[in-house]
Amino acid sequence: MDQPAIEVRDLVVGYGSAPVLDGLSLEVPRGTATCVIGENGAGKSTLLRTVSGLQRPEAGSVLVLGREPGTDAEHWRQVVTTVEPPSWYPGLTAREHAELVTRAHGLDDGDAAAERAFELLGLAGHEDSMPTSLSSGQKQRLTLAMAFVRPSRVLILDEPEQRLDPDARSLVAGLLRDYVAGGGTVLLASHDEKFAAGTGALVTSVAELCGP
Amino acid sequence: MTAVALAPVRHWIRRRQAAHLDAGSALGNLYFAALLAAVLVGMFWPTVGAVFWPAAPTGTRLTAVGVPLVCAGALHLALRQLGPLVISRPAASWLLTAPVSRRALLGAPARAVAAAGAAAGAAAGFATASQVTARPTPAAVLLLTCAAGALTAVLLVALGTVAQRRPGLARGADLVAYLAVTAGAAGMVVERTGPPAAAGAGPGEGPLRYAVLALLAAVLVLATWAYRRLDRTPADVLLAASRAAGTVADSALTGQPSFLQELAEQRYWTSRRWRSAPLPRRVPVLTAQDLRLLGRKRRRLAWLAAATLAPAALMDGSRILLAVAVLLGAMVAASTTVASVRTDANPAVLRLLAVTAREAVVARLWVPVALGSLWAAAALLLLGLLGALPAGPWWALGLALGPAAAAAAVRRARMGLVQNGLLPIDTPMGSLETGPVLAMVVGYDLLVLFGVPTLVLVATGSPLGWQNVLWQALIAGGGLVAYARTSTSATETDLRARG
Repeated sequence: MDQPAIEVRDLVVGYGSAPVLDGLSLEVPRGTATCVIGENGAGKSTLLRTVSGLQRPEAGSVLVLGREPGTDAEHWRQVVTTVEPPSWYPGLTAREHAELVTRAHGLDDGDAAAERAFELLGLAGHEDSMPTSLSSGQKQRLTLAMAFVRPSRVLILDEPEQRLDPDARSLVAGLLRDYVAGGGTVLLASHDEKFAAGTGALVTSVAELCGP
Repeated sequence: MTAVALAPVRHWIRRRQAAHLDAGSALGNLYFAALLAAVLVGMFWPTVGAVFWPAAPTGTRLTAVGVPLVCAGALHLALRQLGPLVISRPAASWLLTAPVSRRALLGAPARAVAAAGAAAGAAAGFATASQVTARPTPAAVLLLTCAAGALTAVLLVALGTVAQRRPGLARGADLVAYLAVTAGAAGMVVERTGPPAAAGAGPGEGPLRYAVLALLAAVLVLATWAYRRLDRTPADVLLAASRAAGTVADSALTGQPSFLQELAEQRYWTSRRWRSAPLPRRVPVLTAQDLRLLGRKRRRLAWLAAATLAPAALMDGSRILLAVAVLLGAMVAASTTVASVRTDANPAVLRLLAVTAREAVVARLWVPVALGSLWAAAALLLLGLLGALPAGPWWALGLALGPAAAAAAVRRARMGLVQNGLLPIDTPMGSLETGPVLAMVVGYDLLVLFGVPTLVLVATGSPLGWQNVLWQALIAGGGLVAYARTSTSATETDLRARG
């Protein structure tokens, strides 16, 4: 059997004396989606940050595509995360940001891919806007467009439905289903159970993952 | 609906603020500010004295026209950056949305800006008179030029308040201001570099008297007209000015100049309309992005081209100052596109692009190298042609200096926030904050280190040979490669890991 795309064992992560995650284990098989739900402060974002290699665990192990997540570019060629929001380059329009991302990943038809992503995420008409001048919902769409427009094998998304209207939530849920159908693996955190169900992901919680 | 009287509200706010204010601390701040101003004036007294009261007049008619043009243009542009109508962030949040008189709300800041502008205008008038009038300068001439400067400044403030709500007028006025600064500076450079002329050709008392009367009449009519229309200033304009002023205050209080750079970039890019276009294909994508950025900064490029003349204005003064001006100018030119490097420093960005820190920095260096080289080559060529430097291939030395300017500009852009938490150093003059001091030299250290041959050759006025050019090329080129290799990882994406 294939090794899971994401494999977390006995994870302990804390920011002070009390651990936020204590003994958490999780497996996300390749070509599947898992959504972690839970209230504020449950540790969802901490889990995603640790799986992304942005937070060092106190104990336990994390493997993403068979390797420890790190800061090397090779890792990030296969993994996309929106756990930390990106900054926007001054002087580059929204559409040019998408082209920049695709060209950086060696795609020759970057312009066409950017156009497709913009249409899919309902950003048509905002191609020439500077990202900083977009509304918060549009910025969230643009962040997701950046994530979908580039090639990857694993998506790690923290509350991708945040600041999106109901139509856009359905749209993003559909895109995540398509991503998984295409062989990709998704780990996401969400507050919205309806959205989580719409992605076709296995829904779980931090409490369940930490066990008894 | 009847407007609520603003004065009692403001009085109540001030009383509450005063109740929470530590009087000792406020006095301490005032004392510190006065001491700092005195120290700065003391430190730079030779320069301050040369500007405001040289021993003998230094300019003729071109200076008499040039200095006021530069000062008026610069004041207008500064006022437009400020607002000029600006209210505090709390006032923007709570009073702008309250049913208080908008004119009363804006009247106080308008009067304050007009008073500050008048003081600056009077100082500029005094400096102009001292530069161009024969000694002993009649007191009436000094008073009249000060009055003319102050009245012009008040007119500019009035114009600024109207331009703040009329984008078309603002664009036109800004263009005129840019032209005024350029024409004034060009006049002064021509006078400095041209054949000597008899100084002391300032305007007489009679014409000045008429000019002041005309300006006074214009102020009475136009400033009153603008003041009565303050309430027409739209809320969004005031909110933007209030946010900008808040950012400036944050930057000053926390000692973080990067806040101002971000504000300036944000304003520039959101104040214009752009059309997406495919990025150039024959270069690495991050360099292609910098080229796109360059194409969208044509006005700045024009300024940089004009600024190649600036070192010529210093050719009669200290040679060290001349050499420093060339190096700094090249670094400023090389900094044109480095805002991209500041964004690269956000780890999420290079992770999304899956680009290593070294790939990013190398790609980001190409445009700064080209700009720094071209600027320094042009500036040194002009200095050579004007006779400020002995014979030699100075343009080639400028080209060789470019990599040093690029390394300095990129290193400074990667600096990030000033570290205010570092341990202070105790000195006989008091404790010295290490973080801001280190931040002041970041980038400039590489400029001096890699630009040593140019610095020495220009400062000493030594003859220039091709072997000197070769040394400069080797030091700057080798230094740039060493900087790129030692300050970045070849496999990791994090740009912040090393300086």
